[in-house]
Amino acid sequence: MNNQSTVRRLLRNKTVSLALVTVAVVALFFFLSKDGSFLKTRNLRGILNMVSVTGTVAVGMACLLISGGVDLAASSEACLGGILCAMLLRAGISWPLALFLAIIYGAVAGAINAFLANVMNIMGFIATIGMSSVYTGLAKVFTDAKFISVNDKEFQKLGSSAIFGFVPVPFVIMLALMILYGFMLRYTRFGRRSYMCGGNPQAARLSGMSPNRTTTVLYINCGALSAFAGSVLASRMHSATATAAQSVAIDAITASVLGGISFMGGSGGIAGCFVGLMLLSAFNNGLNVVQLQSYWQLVAQGALLIIALCVEFFGERARLKALKRREP
Amino acid sequence: MSRYLEFDGIGKAFPGVQALRGISFRAESGRVLALLGENGAGKSTLLKIMSGDLQPDEGRLLRDGEPAVFSSPFHAIKSGISVIYQERQIMPMMTVMENIFLDDAPRKMGVVSRKALKRQTQEIIDRFGLPIFPTETVGRLSVAYQQMVEIMKAYRRNSDVIAFDEPTAPLTDTEIAILFKLIGELKAAGKIIIYVSHRLTEIFKITDDIVILKDGQLVKTVETGRTDERELIRAMVGRDIGDTYSELKRNDVLGETVLDVQDLVTDVVHGVSFTLRKGEVLGFAGLAGAGRTEVVRAIFGADPIISGQIKLDGKTVRFKSPRDAIDAGIALCPEDRKEQGLVLLRSLKDNISMPVLRKIRRAIFLDKKAEVDLARRAVEKYSIKTPGVDKVVVELSGGNQQKVILGRWTSDKMTTKVLIFDEPTKGIDVGTKAEVYQMVCDFAKAGMGVIFISSELTEVINIADAILVMHNGHITGKVNREDATEENILRLAMLE
Repeated sequence: MNNQSTVRRLLRNKTVSLALVTVAVVALFFFLSKDGSFLKTRNLRGILNMVSVTGTVAVGMACLLISGGVDLAASSEACLGGILCAMLLRAGISWPLALFLAIIYGAVAGAINAFLANVMNIMGFIATIGMSSVYTGLAKVFTDAKFISVNDKEFQKLGSSAIFGFVPVPFVIMLALMILYGFMLRYTRFGRRSYMCGGNPQAARLSGMSPNRTTTVLYINCGALSAFAGSVLASRMHSATATAAQSVAIDAITASVLGGISFMGGSGGIAGCFVGLMLLSAFNNGLNVVQLQSYWQLVAQGALLIIALCVEFFGERARLKALKRREP
Repeated sequence: MSRYLEFDGIGKAFPGVQALRGISFRAESGRVLALLGENGAGKSTLLKIMSGDLQPDEGRLLRDGEPAVFSSPFHAIKSGISVIYQERQIMPMMTVMENIFLDDAPRKMGVVSRKALKRQTQEIIDRFGLPIFPTETVGRLSVAYQQMVEIMKAYRRNSDVIAFDEPTAPLTDTEIAILFKLIGELKAAGKIIIYVSHRLTEIFKITDDIVILKDGQLVKTVETGRTDERELIRAMVGRDIGDTYSELKRNDVLGETVLDVQDLVTDVVHGVSFTLRKGEVLGFAGLAGAGRTEVVRAIFGADPIISGQIKLDGKTVRFKSPRDAIDAGIALCPEDRKEQGLVLLRSLKDNISMPVLRKIRRAIFLDKKAEVDLARRAVEKYSIKTPGVDKVVVELSGGNQQKVILGRWTSDKMTTKVLIFDEPTKGIDVGTKAEVYQMVCDFAKAGMGVIFISSELTEVINIADAILVMHNGHITGKVNREDATEENILRLAMLE
């Protein structure tokens, strides 16, 4: 094991190998697309815009998954967050305050999820599906299924301006969040507690940690980030609707799982989540660019996730076998 | 009906441990074969292979000379092999008759016929002369009768081979008598019976042949009539059990009282009082479910306390969470290492630093170097066999996993005054057991108060300075080391 070359060790690293797959996917779509339009600035900018909303949700989702929770209501929290933000702006509230209040809404939604999961002992999975329906319903009630336009010029800049005229601000924000949370998970006590509580809540509790407190913080965090992401989306689209951000929860979970974060909690990291997100986005966008029929896109997206999970399964099995052979 | 079941060179490995190696023996019809061995000897693994739950890496099973391959429990059951595990395989919410006919209920035009179901179940119950009804919910029966339901299920399936995995562990004397009567009837009916236990008295009472396993290998096959307890123990342990204990360097200087528990009451503990002195090893004996684990969990702040008083070093304390207990100097090595002790998929280092993260930080960050040092010292101190501190603990053997937990509680960042062991030697090999015993004594020598819960009587008797025996949530007696015998402890543990 020790005399392995750096290259081989890097290839063993899941994140690195996944990054290579992503590069391959990008190359594939580049050649498949008409005159390489996949890699044209316009399209790339579109990808980055898409990524930034999903990615912001994915940061919160990844941390939550690691600590053993899950928030299937993230989409509706993002959607309702954006709507609340737009409604507050229309009511004449300054944009920083409106954004702040939308984030507060997300935090409260997260706290409700945590309450249901930790105090009422409902499985997070089920509880958040229920809440998701509640928020989606409220979104429709508030908007009456119409667009709420965002006219605040300053607020529009948040989502639509770009650095160097190319990198969208939301993408920069998402990157900053990823780095921040990645550091948090790796280098702080709270990060370590998230892993340990997710890996085995009973053992964590008996070792002096508080799994409930940890997941509560991360539920709130996930809700707040989702609402923030929804607001950013509203800012970019210059409007909010009850059908916005519909798939971000599933996409965030898919990106995390692709990146090696276990649904069972306790493993994976933000770097993997980021690569998983890029792969997913490149893939989804690529399917669009090569003009695959949208029904078939759905099929391909599902297949991608399933294939990734199967590869993971076989890899794990091979690893266990190798381990067994090595021991006497 | 097959006349014999043969194990031919069975071998099985798990990551980090060779569970079985070259096991060959034959179980015959109309006889009860005892599978004897210490915890971790490989008995359960062998049963799981027999029941199709695990596949052997080497060797094969033969029935009347014909190779038999069971790729799943379903196959094994279909071909007449039933294993009755320690953990009941029943559906607690369903009735007795539904459980007995779970997979094969009598049908009328494709629909389960309740009438036929009830009648046929009653016939089986009568056959064994049991006072239960077909329509009772199994979850409401006592543990013993739940087991009877399983036996009836095996009988109904017309299984040729019926294996029992430590069936008497949760049973009272009367219930054991009923069980033995049942086994006698199955034997008379020409079944092949495999009986796993490490209670020697039982083995002499009901078995015909004995197969002894040690560390995954077969060490002895003998007819029950031609051996005695001493010989069996020597075969099981590899040497006279007395030696392991007499070689221990015990602590004989007891200090002042460190832990004083008065009238502790919880859901399942009804008024438990005891004191623990510095340097003392206090044993807790009793049957499974007697409330020993619950007592220590309550003291540790893991379960709510209804009433009672706990004094640590003379000060009254009431811990709201394990965190409080740990900060006050109490540590618990829980009963189930994998479920409650370790975060299996994280590294050895991560597992050791769990309770002391706040002491190894630099500003808001974890001090990774200090953490690695902490783990390295534990690896050295307990000679944990691992290639490094980043090794994932799931890949360590049971004994080394136990040492990781010890390392966690006795690192130099901890000030443990009371160390609680709940079944610390469960599922670890004999060599490591001796090491664990010595560590327990060493902790006592270092002035800690040690609580030692164990279901293995010889172990408690030989390790503890005094033994508290529990039954049904009460302490039924305290036995000093000098007066402790298996008989008087068992009598207290099985108090009716």
